[in-house]
Amino acid sequence: MQTPPAIPHRSEAIRAYQERGGRIAAVLPIHYPRALLRAFDLLPVEVWGPPQVDVSYGAAHLQPYVCSIVRNALSFLQTGGLDVTDVIIVPHACDSLQGLGSILIDFVHPNQPVIPLYLPRGRRASDTQFLAAEFRSLHRRLEEITNRSPSNAELMTSIRREETADEWLAQLHQRRGQLPLTDVQLYRLIRAREYLPAEIFSESARATLALTSPPPPGPVRSSFLGNGGSGPTLWPPSLVGEGLGERWHKGIPIILSGIVPEPMSLFESVAEMGGLVVADDFACCGRRLYPRGSSDDPFQHLAENILNAPPDSTRGHSIQERLDHLIRLTRTSGAKGIVFYDVKFCEPELFDLPILRKGLQAAGIPSATVEVDIGDLLSHQTLTRLEAFLEMIGHGWR
Amino acid sequence: MSVTKACAYHFNVNLMGRAFLRLQRWQAERKAATGASRWKSDYLAPPLKIAPRTKELVARHWLQGRYANLNRKVAWVTSGAPVELLKALDFYVLYPENHAAICGTARVAVDIAAEAENAGYSRDICSYARTDIGTVLSGKTPVGKLPKPDLLLACTNICQTVLQWYRVLAHHFNVPLILIDTPFVYYGEATDHAVEYVKRQLEEAIPVAEKVADKRLDERKLKQVARLSKLASELWLEIMERNQHQPAPISAFDEFIQMAPIVEMRGDAATVDLYAALLKEVDERIARGISTVKGERKRLLWDNLPIWYRLRYLAELLAEHGIALVASTYTNAWGELAPLIDPERPFESAARTYTYPILNRGAGHKLATIKHMIEAYHLDGVILHSDRSCKPYSIGQIDQRDKLIRDCGVPALLLEADHNDARVFAEEQVAHRLAAFVEMLE
Amino acid sequence: MMKEVRALGVDVGSTTVKMVGVDAEGNLVWHFLEQADPRVEDQVERFLARARHETFEASQTSKVWNAPLVATGYGRKLVHWPEGHRPATRSVTEITCHAKGIYRELAHGGTLVDIGGQDSKVIGISPKGDVVDFTMNDKCAAGTGRFLENTAHRLRVPLEQMGQVALSASEEVAISSTCTVFAESEVISLIAHGVAVEAILRGLHRSLVKRVVAMIRTVGLVPPLMLSGGVVQNPAVPRMLEDETGERVIVPRYPQLMGAYGAALIALDLR
Repeated sequence: MQTPPAIPHRSEAIRAYQERGGRIAAVLPIHYPRALLRAFDLLPVEVWGPPQVDVSYGAAHLQPYVCSIVRNALSFLQTGGLDVTDVIIVPHACDSLQGLGSILIDFVHPNQPVIPLYLPRGRRASDTQFLAAEFRSLHRRLEEITNRSPSNAELMTSIRREETADEWLAQLHQRRGQLPLTDVQLYRLIRAREYLPAEIFSESARATLALTSPPPPGPVRSSFLGNGGSGPTLWPPSLVGEGLGERWHKGIPIILSGIVPEPMSLFESVAEMGGLVVADDFACCGRRLYPRGSSDDPFQHLAENILNAPPDSTRGHSIQERLDHLIRLTRTSGAKGIVFYDVKFCEPELFDLPILRKGLQAAGIPSATVEVDIGDLLSHQTLTRLEAFLEMIGHGWR
Repeated sequence: MSVTKACAYHFNVNLMGRAFLRLQRWQAERKAATGASRWKSDYLAPPLKIAPRTKELVARHWLQGRYANLNRKVAWVTSGAPVELLKALDFYVLYPENHAAICGTARVAVDIAAEAENAGYSRDICSYARTDIGTVLSGKTPVGKLPKPDLLLACTNICQTVLQWYRVLAHHFNVPLILIDTPFVYYGEATDHAVEYVKRQLEEAIPVAEKVADKRLDERKLKQVARLSKLASELWLEIMERNQHQPAPISAFDEFIQMAPIVEMRGDAATVDLYAALLKEVDERIARGISTVKGERKRLLWDNLPIWYRLRYLAELLAEHGIALVASTYTNAWGELAPLIDPERPFESAARTYTYPILNRGAGHKLATIKHMIEAYHLDGVILHSDRSCKPYSIGQIDQRDKLIRDCGVPALLLEADHNDARVFAEEQVAHRLAAFVEMLE
Repeated sequence: MMKEVRALGVDVGSTTVKMVGVDAEGNLVWHFLEQADPRVEDQVERFLARARHETFEASQTSKVWNAPLVATGYGRKLVHWPEGHRPATRSVTEITCHAKGIYRELAHGGTLVDIGGQDSKVIGISPKGDVVDFTMNDKCAAGTGRFLENTAHRLRVPLEQMGQVALSASEEVAISSTCTVFAESEVISLIAHGVAVEAILRGLHRSLVKRVVAMIRTVGLVPPLMLSGGVVQNPAVPRMLEDETGERVIVPRYPQLMGAYGAALIALDLR
């Protein structure tokens, strides 16, 4: 049996890119224009935590009721974790990230320039217009910092490269049932999108997908990834059930929904308990299946990519849209239940939960909630809840 | 709107209600005048004479609300929302945050929030939101009855949480939600494209609001409302600035109570009249040497929302030591933007006015504002209320406190609590910290 | 004559460890309970030896050593069979086990509330005995036995008498803090102000019960309301729970053993 291709570690990827003469941009959660950064030869490397840091540094600036993603990011910065980077981008996804951006700019003063990025909270024409303008502003700032000036044509090339990578990513999500990978292996690959250059990620994804039989066709045009305005439709019927049988019998199928799957040992624990992740609604993963844009103007195009992505609590979607999306995802993936795996104190997630859970219940879909601090190893309590949920929905499964 | 309903509204609100509330006010004023008040304090000045009038105005507002569904279109809005548009379309405007604060002051917020918590809303979300959702789910409220909204308006200039909250309301009530998204101002100025974005959203809100109101927006009316808003805000600012006088004639605690009209009845003529009267009373106090704390020795600033369910307790605790709370960044927020309001160009100026509230600006800006207020109000220290429910206001306070102490030599206390959830208020611990802080001020 | 033990269940809680033996029909025929020992494996071995000894006369064989064992509770993953003995040990969460145990005992669905020393849970059980929803309070002491222990020890009332004293109070003072640490400060302050011990104790019980009721409401109360766990032995708790919910509360014969019993029943199914 072929083995899946090895995925370079974050530090390897960074070093390789720097050796080519490129520079590194640290990017905080969640949404941002990858293609724009790459056009300036900046490799975006995302900062989701990370989990294992000395949190006392962040705690010196942030109260305990601020989420651990933000606290850990600040701790990471202050313990030298971002020293390899040349610029820090802080998108605005919530009040806590807002506060982090502000503290960095006004009080912490890291060596690197800190660039905030406001994501609009609607999906109207005015939001697209604003986001495109915000990206133009970012472009100008990056010009100052890097002394480069990519043309529109170069931007479009970079955009197409990222869109190709996103399509391979979508295929990984869709065809996970046919892949000879455990959940943790699959998600290591999916999450490599957070730091690998798009072209390298595309190659890894392609090579991994070649391990399925039959090998997939070329990247699939994203009719399923989203169609601006009316919301994304997923999983064209022809692909449902293909090869899902292979992995299905290996576990109780569930969907994970939340911000980020940290610690990654989560996947190993779920597998040990007899669970199998058949789809996800993570802000870090499933909600960033960006569809192709359509505009010829690169900034407008980039805005379209993001604004048309799947429903996300931190952007412009109603609770009903999120609920419809989760129900659709459940039906097409065959999941038996949804686990809301949230970081403690995450208000965008917490507000939606009661209505989502009630709606899911009405649709006959059981759900459970778990709250974690991403710095901790999975606690006994969290593991017990997951296990109890799997026992509950797996009844009669084994 | 049927004739019967209109009659019912007018009878209850304008006839019976008005008369009843006027009677209550008259009784309260008489009581205060004859000194037969229940208020007893060795350290605090007697209550403001205007208090019964403010109470009447606020009560009238909620009374109107109780019957509003009979006769008017109702909008629920966030405290930073550009409300002038809705007032010009004759909406009855309700502020869930204000209602939640009333629940907090009346000490019923915990009980009401528990209704939301039992329905699955986490205790880690804003206590205002939990109180409001609790009211919506259970109908419990100390103000009689809340009218159902026909329209929701959420402006993100105070936080992102309101948007999450209003989406829950939109789902529950199944009514349109107008979003005015105001990009956060990280640097000194808002970007042009941000202001343009806000302006466009305001303009696009008009047809949505008009459709719900079943009316066309009258430009003149809008300008009139903007004019009244500006006047009220300017008066409010003057009232607060009178506290630069030593000793301070009123306290920030008074301001927390007296601010209700500027928040929830901004744009009404009655609000302008009320604040003109309050300003007069403040000037009288100054002239007669009446200070909010007898024997004022130290003067403090309060940062963040008040602790609604412990106002009197805190006022007395501080007053016992001759400490007056004379200013707050919170009350200041409703006055400092008055100069930006241009009644002749309501939309252009609204785009800026509503982008620049202190909560939509960086942590450095708030620190600069605090420093400015320390100078202007001759302050001896700052209490930073680390409000568990309010991240935009609270994040940055640790650094702000450090800088105040180290760079400005000003004592600053970080006080952990919550503006509406009494379960988070640890009385022994708070008293202890305040006592230590008071010693530091000596 | 004592029936033969065919399967065993062990509930390794953080405060107590319980083991239950069931016969071929699933009747609870043997049980034992002890304070939890951090050296879980040793404790379980001792339990097994005891089980064997106590049922030996009945069985005349060492069948108990071949009885399958299912472990549940906080320390379930630490339970291993001693060397050289075959039957499988499986671990199943306390949610599934408690539901199984109570369903067998009372033969109907409803809402089970289990209040332990350090955690509490509410389990919605279908008429067929399946778990349909659950919630666990396992991160903080509020709503568990620990809340009473920590806050009331200042009142110098022995643990076993707390319920009685609380019920005997004619007045009740409300405790506003939900956090155990702050509630303790509140209690000290109340004592200093001369508030009666009974009134404080009653207020503490009320806080505990209210916290539990909040958990019940998140799962949704489907009657009947059933109660299990060590704290149930405190008479004030079921009484106040009935007050707060307006529902009659049913307590099984062995409220502390429902987890171990359910585990034993699952073990029996494995045979």
